[in-house]
Amino acid sequence: MDLTTRLATARTAVLVAEVPGWAATRCAVEREVRTRGWRLAGSPADADVLVVCGRPGPRLAAAVDHVWAQLPGPRARVQVHGPADVPPALDAALADLADAPAQRRDAADRPAEPAPGSLATDLPAPDGDAARDEDADRTPGFDDPGPAPDPDDGTDDGTDPDDGTDMSGMDMPMPGGVPLAGGGDDDQLPDPDRLDLDVLHVPLGPVLPCWPAGLLVHTTLQGDLVVAARAEVLEPAGAPPAGDGVHGTPAGRWDAVAALLALAGDADGAAAAARLRDALLAGADAAAEEARLGRRVRRSRLLHWSLRGVGELDGADAADRLAHWAGAGEQLVPITLEQVAALVTGVDLATARLVVASLDLDTSDRTRVPVPAP
Amino acid sequence: MTVVQVSAGWVPLAAVLLLAGAAAAAGLDGALAARAQGLPAGRGLVTPVAETARLFRQRRRTTVAADSPLRWVGVAGLLTVALLMAAVVPFGRWTVADLAVGVVWFNAMDVLLWAAVWLAGWGPNSLHPLVGGYRFLAQALCYELPLMFALTAPAVAAGSLRLGDVVAAQSGLWFVVWMPVAFAVFCAAVLAFSVWGPFRAPADATGAGGVLAESSGVDRWLLGTGRYALLAAGAAFGTTVFLGGGQGPVLPAELWLLVKTAVLLAALVVLGRRLPVVRPERLAAPAWLVALPLVLVQLLVVTVVVVVRG
Repeated sequence: MDLTTRLATARTAVLVAEVPGWAATRCAVEREVRTRGWRLAGSPADADVLVVCGRPGPRLAAAVDHVWAQLPGPRARVQVHGPADVPPALDAALADLADAPAQRRDAADRPAEPAPGSLATDLPAPDGDAARDEDADRTPGFDDPGPAPDPDDGTDDGTDPDDGTDMSGMDMPMPGGVPLAGGGDDDQLPDPDRLDLDVLHVPLGPVLPCWPAGLLVHTTLQGDLVVAARAEVLEPAGAPPAGDGVHGTPAGRWDAVAALLALAGDADGAAAAARLRDALLAGADAAAEEARLGRRVRRSRLLHWSLRGVGELDGADAADRLAHWAGAGEQLVPITLEQVAALVTGVDLATARLVVASLDLDTSDRTRVPVPAP
Repeated sequence: MTVVQVSAGWVPLAAVLLLAGAAAAAGLDGALAARAQGLPAGRGLVTPVAETARLFRQRRRTTVAADSPLRWVGVAGLLTVALLMAAVVPFGRWTVADLAVGVVWFNAMDVLLWAAVWLAGWGPNSLHPLVGGYRFLAQALCYELPLMFALTAPAVAAGSLRLGDVVAAQSGLWFVVWMPVAFAVFCAAVLAFSVWGPFRAPADATGAGGVLAESSGVDRWLLGTGRYALLAAGAAFGTTVFLGGGQGPVLPAELWLLVKTAVLLAALVVLGRRLPVVRPERLAAPAWLVALPLVLVQLLVVTVVVVVRG
């Protein structure tokens, strides 16, 4: 590897796509990324390597493919199924990145112009994987008069920017083949600021950093305000490995703290929480460090002020839940996807991200909850 | 000490100094990040070089129906504005542009950022960058007026808008000593217009990178370097109007300016890392109800002192 390549891969950015049930594998990836001096990517555009943790079901796999298409390149994609796979997989990814001829071929094979993405299936299929998977393959065209199709863009997808909702007006201008945001029909809600903003349908997830694995929240936005939401979980293909759960353990608590701190903008606190999580997963005794970090988190006034009032549930908000986790409190709060959708409705996108992170959902816990149509 | 305007041929040197400042800030940030990750801080020091190599090797991304010309304006805008800000700062006895309205010039350049950051968010035609652009406007509404009044205080005390005169007026006492509020507000505003530290909401994780979310390759390098260069330019300007510029014993004025700027820049980087993000909607109330009245009182005090002293 020449000097340029070595430098260019010294800070390789890794985007992790976690399948529900493979949390320990994701934690192993994050630890390996940290010890190599690499970093976690914030979006597909920022990433060099896509690491898929676990076996995604068809819909999740389709979303991961979309994300993969958005990595700028040089890019590498690896699949890991357990914590033990991680170091060799990242070595393979590094070798891929350094292989200039292969990267050139990959770049030449890709379309020069970005194409609009396909649509996230919006038809609720609360029961029966078969029906759900069939829906996943259905990709309605843009002239489909169906209700509010969403582009399935994984995260922050530039390829499906303005997903209009009013598909009936066919004379509407469609720059780049993408309909403009338009006035909604029945889903146009009274705007609190009386701006009557156009509505936009945007899926949040399922591949998004600091986000529950496989969670897909179909949001209806006016401006950056979520006016309606519906949550579902995209499933793995087959059962996840036993004993790969992190949730409900002390390590899982610090994993939740790390995600919430990262979103709240405390990068150093998030790094400390992630290191603590990894130490606990490795079986180390970290009581002193837990107490120290817990004190630090609970004492940060600015952090509490910024999380105060976010995602109030049963009289507790995100700041309370963070303090609770940091104080070694029990983690599990039973919550349904309907409650998640209700909590993110009426807040802006940034707050919605904080709300979801503060709930610490366990998406691998497969208790089915019927999800009504929006 | 009078300030001499040098020929435009020296502009590349000013740009090199500015980029060096940006690289130093990025290196310090990388070292602090590495330490937090449990790695030797030295490994983080190469961050600016490694990221530059990575991004220069990376393909640029385009998005569907992107507004390319406006996007380029936004992407190139940050670094350009930083250089234009640095152009009026006297480097010891020399300056690239000895404007009679130097203080106003700096303020005007900072207002250009409203357009630059918003265009960088608008250009990709994508949700998260656009939201990030609007978040920057909301943030700018919070910091802009306090910043303008904070800049007014040194100008009133010096009785001139020319930066050379502002530096000369601090020969006895640095302005920071009797204008601490204006200095604090100025530093916060530098963090805010650099989209850095507690004010990086337009480009933070809750928006998957916000205005940066869709950019890669050299676009991302320009935006990232632009942010660090803005921090460096803000630190150099803050040194000039509050910390006595090149004033100091023994060492030549140029070296004093570099040393003070480096210290202020390091303080901004360290401070920015220690604070969580303040979302613009939470920022509005303290900015308008606390910072703005305080800086106005500061300006009143400065004005009274100037009038009494005659």
